[in-house]
Amino acid sequence: MRRFFGMVLLAVSVPIAMTFLSRVVYQAVGWVEALATGAGAPPTYGAAIANVVVLMAGIVMTMGAALTVAERKWSAMIQNRIGPNRIRVFGQSAGGIFFLAADALKMLTKENIEPSQRSRVLYELAPMAAFAPSFVLFAVVPLGPPVDVIVAGVRHTVALQVANIDAGLLFIFGAASLAVYGTALAGWSSNNKFAILGGVRATSQMISYEVSLGLSLAGSMMAYQSLKLDDMVRAQGQLLWGGLPALGFFLQPVGLLVFFVSAFAETKRAPFDLPEGESEIVGYFVEYPGMKFGMMFLAEFIEVVVLAAITAAIFFGGWHPVFFEQTMREAVGAGSVWWASICAGAFLTKILLLCWLQLVIRWTLPRFRFDQIQKLCWKMRLPVTLGNVFLTAALILVDPSLELLALVGLAEIAAIVVVTAAVRRKAEGTVKPGAHTAAVAVGH
Amino acid sequence: MPYQLPNADLDLRERMYFPEVIRGVGIIMKQFFRNFFFGREKDPDILARDRSLSQNATLAYPEERVPYPPGYRGLHRLVPREDGRPRCVACYMCATICPAQCIYIEAGELPEDPIEKYPVKFVIDELRCIVCGFCVEACPKDAIRMDTGEHAPPSYTRSAQVWDETRLLRGPTVSYQYDPWLRRGSKSIPPEKLEEMRARAKPFPANATDEYAQTPGFSVRALAAEERERAKLPPKT
Repeated sequence: MRRFFGMVLLAVSVPIAMTFLSRVVYQAVGWVEALATGAGAPPTYGAAIANVVVLMAGIVMTMGAALTVAERKWSAMIQNRIGPNRIRVFGQSAGGIFFLAADALKMLTKENIEPSQRSRVLYELAPMAAFAPSFVLFAVVPLGPPVDVIVAGVRHTVALQVANIDAGLLFIFGAASLAVYGTALAGWSSNNKFAILGGVRATSQMISYEVSLGLSLAGSMMAYQSLKLDDMVRAQGQLLWGGLPALGFFLQPVGLLVFFVSAFAETKRAPFDLPEGESEIVGYFVEYPGMKFGMMFLAEFIEVVVLAAITAAIFFGGWHPVFFEQTMREAVGAGSVWWASICAGAFLTKILLLCWLQLVIRWTLPRFRFDQIQKLCWKMRLPVTLGNVFLTAALILVDPSLELLALVGLAEIAAIVVVTAAVRRKAEGTVKPGAHTAAVAVGH
Repeated sequence: MPYQLPNADLDLRERMYFPEVIRGVGIIMKQFFRNFFFGREKDPDILARDRSLSQNATLAYPEERVPYPPGYRGLHRLVPREDGRPRCVACYMCATICPAQCIYIEAGELPEDPIEKYPVKFVIDELRCIVCGFCVEACPKDAIRMDTGEHAPPSYTRSAQVWDETRLLRGPTVSYQYDPWLRRGSKSIPPEKLEEMRARAKPFPANATDEYAQTPGFSVRALAAEERERAKLPPKT
């Protein structure tokens, strides 16, 4: 019982902690902005630099690193076991958080084995090329709304978004395509035929799924009429029929499903993890020791966080705290930093929940075979996505306020729920009696 | 096939895959929440744990142990008599039959008693031991048993696994009425001690029984109850 209430308290305190963290982040970014404009920089430069440091290097990296430990603990909770708990500081294992230090130390102190005939430049470049695009994807994610932060009496408009470029979604597609380079280079430059095969597998899987990644977002682009992620998040705040927020989850459920699964395949995460395989098949990083492997390993987890962030931004309302939004906004004041902190805290909580969902899905499905992966992409996902694009376009043409689209989306969700719940229990006696007696006759 | 497997083809709903995948995700989520909100029970008797809340079946090893079953061949012990000496008469049966030749005995004579021997040195190298239990079966005096209920504890050096008679002489004492030193009396045991041992000796059993199972504290449930006592958990029915 004690644990029940403790865990409920923990679960409730996560959004609250994220809110306070965002408050601190807003203040810090405001200070740097004040410093920068005081030193003569153009209006948003200082904020952008502060955002890079705090958001990307701080929050995303911390989340990615914590996710490596959290994955082991949550996997253990799914599998009815304890998980790593033997590193104790002052007698407390604290949920296994100290394993972060152990993993980092392990990777840093491993022997640097270098295959002799490798291509030097490409070999050294590959971990960086695998790490950088996934890291950089976070630059266009709007973590918090723009708000005026008062530093020493001067108002600065600060948004928790590193770069609000006009081609936000296009940047995402571009960076996801760049991520292919890392795996291709890693496989090719290792001077190992199995690594090349693994690299080719990984590359072809990633390239195939980028097509459906892009097309699945085309529907959302049409619905929110913008490529900028910030506009998409803002547009999700509009209320349909006076009550339902226009979340991507309601407007584009098919797009969400396809995007989420394609994101899985992009990150090469289970069940699409045939390229890395983990002790069953030789992967593309077989010749990478220590921290070079650590970079690619961490890149995968950071990509999990970043794709969770993008999914949250486009499909789950981004920084809108969907529940009790109106009451909270009136309570705190619509333009205040606390409202923005609540929004950013809500976004961070959504990212955590989506990371958790990715982990849960990892343990639901067995690994797909390579031909199954490709068949799924080209024969099932692409037609579904194209159909979704046409359908969305037709519905938006008919009804420019997104109500018809939302209606169809809700109908799709209802259909999925009904089909999922309609489990027919097969009776045990459906076997043909002839087959049974034949088997018995053969058996004796 | 002894039983028929329902090997039907997938119907349309199952061929769509995602309904079943969503159901699977629901099952996994349920397991996660059960283990997230409810801690695991720390009962060493895993089968007796209440599985309605958290189904965690783990024991945190060295703090929580599964009690070994009766008849478990574990660490050897030299069975003592009530006067503190081992029951062993250094007859070399166990050393002879040991397949791994891990028992080394040096016999010695008792100064007062010209008939009985006793082991001056009785050394077992637990690393060589293959835990077959032949020595226990061969011993005519029930002097060596493997009923300690624990395995040889791990150590950092090989020499720590060489157990001599001072380390092996432990555990509850055992006496039978047909023991020669009780039946005809032995000069090495003082008379009042002899009477006491005769009073506590077990009679010769009419049919062959499993001596180990009679030794107290050797049911798995009883051992689990003891460990629960030690961990101060509420008793189970």
